Amino acid sequence: MSTQAGATVFIVDDDADVRLSIQRLLKTVGLRAELFATAQDFLRRNIPDGPSCLVLDVRLPEVGGLEVQHKLAAAGINIPIIFVTAHGDIPMSVKAMKSGAVEFLTKPFRDQDLLDAIQQALKRDQLARRHRSEIAELHERHKSLTAREREVMELMVSGMQTKQIASALGTSEITAAVHRGNVMRKMHASSPAELGSMVERLRLSSNR
Amino acid sequence: MGNEDVQKTLEELSRNLQESKARLEEAQRVAHLGHWEWDLETDAIVWSDETYRIFGLSPQERPMDLATVQSLVHPEDREALYGGVDEDLVAGIRPDAEFRIVRPNGEVRTVHALTSRRWSFVPGDAKRDSAGRPYKLFGTVQDITERKRAEEALQLTQAHFREGQRLARMGSWTSDGTKCQWSDELFPIYGLDPRKGVPSTEEFLTIIHPQDRPSMAEAIRLMLEEERGCDVTTRVIRPDGQMRYVRCVGIRIVEQGIFKGFLGTGMDVTEQEILTQELRRERAYLTEAQSLAHLGSWACNLVTQKIFHSSDENARLYGFDPREGAIPFDRFYNTILTEDEAALRPKLENAIRTGADYDVEFRIQRTDGAIRFMRGIGHHNPSQEVGEYLGITIDITERKRAEEGREKLRQLEADLAHMNRVNMMGELAAALAHEIKQPITAAVTNAGACLRFLEMERPDILEAREAASGTIGCGTRAAEIIDRVRALFKKTAPQREPVNINELIREIALLLQNEIRRHSVVVHLGLAENLPEVMADRVQLQQVLMNLMLNAIEAMQGVSAHLEINSQQTDDGQLLIAVSDTGLGLPTEKADQIFDAFFTTKPQGTGMGLAISRSIVESHGGRLWASSNSGRGATFRFTLPYEESLRT
Repeated sequence: MSTQAGATVFIVDDDADVRLSIQRLLKTVGLRAELFATAQDFLRRNIPDGPSCLVLDVRLPEVGGLEVQHKLAAAGINIPIIFVTAHGDIPMSVKAMKSGAVEFLTKPFRDQDLLDAIQQALKRDQLARRHRSEIAELHERHKSLTAREREVMELMVSGMQTKQIASALGTSEITAAVHRGNVMRKMHASSPAELGSMVERLRLSSNR
Repeated sequence: MGNEDVQKTLEELSRNLQESKARLEEAQRVAHLGHWEWDLETDAIVWSDETYRIFGLSPQERPMDLATVQSLVHPEDREALYGGVDEDLVAGIRPDAEFRIVRPNGEVRTVHALTSRRWSFVPGDAKRDSAGRPYKLFGTVQDITERKRAEEALQLTQAHFREGQRLARMGSWTSDGTKCQWSDELFPIYGLDPRKGVPSTEEFLTIIHPQDRPSMAEAIRLMLEEERGCDVTTRVIRPDGQMRYVRCVGIRIVEQGIFKGFLGTGMDVTEQEILTQELRRERAYLTEAQSLAHLGSWACNLVTQKIFHSSDENARLYGFDPREGAIPFDRFYNTILTEDEAALRPKLENAIRTGADYDVEFRIQRTDGAIRFMRGIGHHNPSQEVGEYLGITIDITERKRAEEGREKLRQLEADLAHMNRVNMMGELAAALAHEIKQPITAAVTNAGACLRFLEMERPDILEAREAASGTIGCGTRAAEIIDRVRALFKKTAPQREPVNINELIREIALLLQNEIRRHSVVVHLGLAENLPEVMADRVQLQQVLMNLMLNAIEAMQGVSAHLEINSQQTDDGQLLIAVSDTGLGLPTEKADQIFDAFFTTKPQGTGMGLAISRSIVESHGGRLWASSNSGRGATFRFTLPYEESLRT
């Protein structure tokens, strides 16, 4: 079991006993928990930039669990969610899972099932974070390119050779080769294939 | 010629004369005709025997003279007969006269006197005086009283006839096939002037209403060309614009097999026609009204089963075609459904016996198979014979259907309320489940944490203890929730009051009357008397009884349905109530499941009825169970302890 040091598990449940018992269970695996009695309390909290996941009760006063999931997605907050409910039915769980929930557990659940779900959620969060930081890095590198270099990069990923790039831009082959070298260096690309994948990821992230 | 011969000849002549005289006498007697001779010079008057008899005298009983004759003439006619007679005689006029005479016995006779223009029977013996008057007159007198009376009678008859025709607004006509004669009375009927004479066929047709003209023309054509009689009623537009209905009837006159022409009448039937039309219209309205109201009228004798009147709609209501003609009583009566007839018959018989009115409802099956609900109202006609009723029949099927619809709606509402109650129970159960799962979840999680703290390489006893005590706390909380829910139920706990179970059973049987009737269920209540009261929730026990009885009724659809409810007291201080039916019986394979919640054999059932019933009975300290009958159907029994309940 890989425990993420410094990871935070947010627990939103209107039942104090349930909150405290989960917090206690997490303590046995060295995970820190933050407890909230209502969804509003949780939504008011600024989620720290660190590994985290959310254990969310479906039936909550005023703002329900599924609504919280919807609000977080709308706000662009990508925190993995584990739903727990004492009143679950199949349509409800399907809806939650389709909206990207990690797990849907019915109360009373086995302690191991909850811990497994939390581990899975944190791993997913970790991956997502890494992915996000990579994208951010790529954006930084992309920003460092000059306008001419960006043009050259687009032509490179479209599969053109230096000669063709030079002709397309109306420059000498040598100038095109220099731009090409700058692109590869600034983007930290070791091969044209890697550059292609980087551009692809940049496009995907900016489309989102 | 010798004397003898002369004598002989004279004798013969005399005999001949005698014979002639006798013949004349006889002829005069038979004809009531006498003769007279008046010698104007001597004033002597000679009468024949018959003349004497006509005047009521014996023949030749006395000699006659003018004064005597005048005294025999009716005083009122004397002046007319003799006034100016001299001048007339000179002028040779008044050869005859008709006048009355008074016989000595007071009898008045009418006679007709003729004066011969030949003054003498002897040629050339026309004796006249210087003034030119004849000296002698000869004439006859005839008794015409009988003829006169007949004539007067005829005139009277004719006058009466004319007056009758005038009063009846009727005129007569005759036709020999070419020429037509009209009585005076016929002209005003057609608004024509008698002085202008009988109109020609063309003229006649112009006064007939244009719409009726073709039929009149055709009738005339048939009369003239085919010698057929006629009877046509046409509208006549009189010259003054007034419209009248005139009925023209012509009958053939045939004498000894030979067609002679037509004898006919023309009659103003305007009033009758208008009345007839009004009557026809009224009848049409009535028929229409009956048809609209699905209401038929009738009059009949229920004992002799003779029908005096049955309106068209009445026939139609029973599915018969009124054009078929009179429909016998049996055919009406046989449409009544057998089971309804059984109930109807005693009511009718009772009404007939007491001479009372009746108002009944029954169903009929028409020949086309349709079942209709009918209401019959009979009013006894007291002045008439036994069993004589007049009344109406109304088709109340639509109303009945609407009532059934309303009943169904009520049932649906009741079902809905029931479903709501069931749903509410579901909701309550769900809420309870949610509530109780929270502390259980916390307890399980705490227990898991506790174990994990203990299983660590270096067990954290402190944390484990806290987790364990958390578990205890959660367990306690779960128990508290259950107590709270029970307390909640206690708050709405049934109100117990003394209940007479027999009264309750009768109430429910009454409440289900419609259901019972609709399914043709025969109900038998076998209730033991003087049962002790039980302390119970009245409404809940009603629910149990209604549930069991409704189940029984529903189980008996399409079978001969007998519902029996018995109540009795058992030796061990309980009341035992049994609801027994002749229905389908218990489902053999699932007999033990019928009391389970959500178990049902009915498509619309909730499966809660028996579960709730059992729960109610048990909350009263009793038991509810079911068993199959040895014959058909099932029996549900439940007990209610009364000593127990009295203590409560």
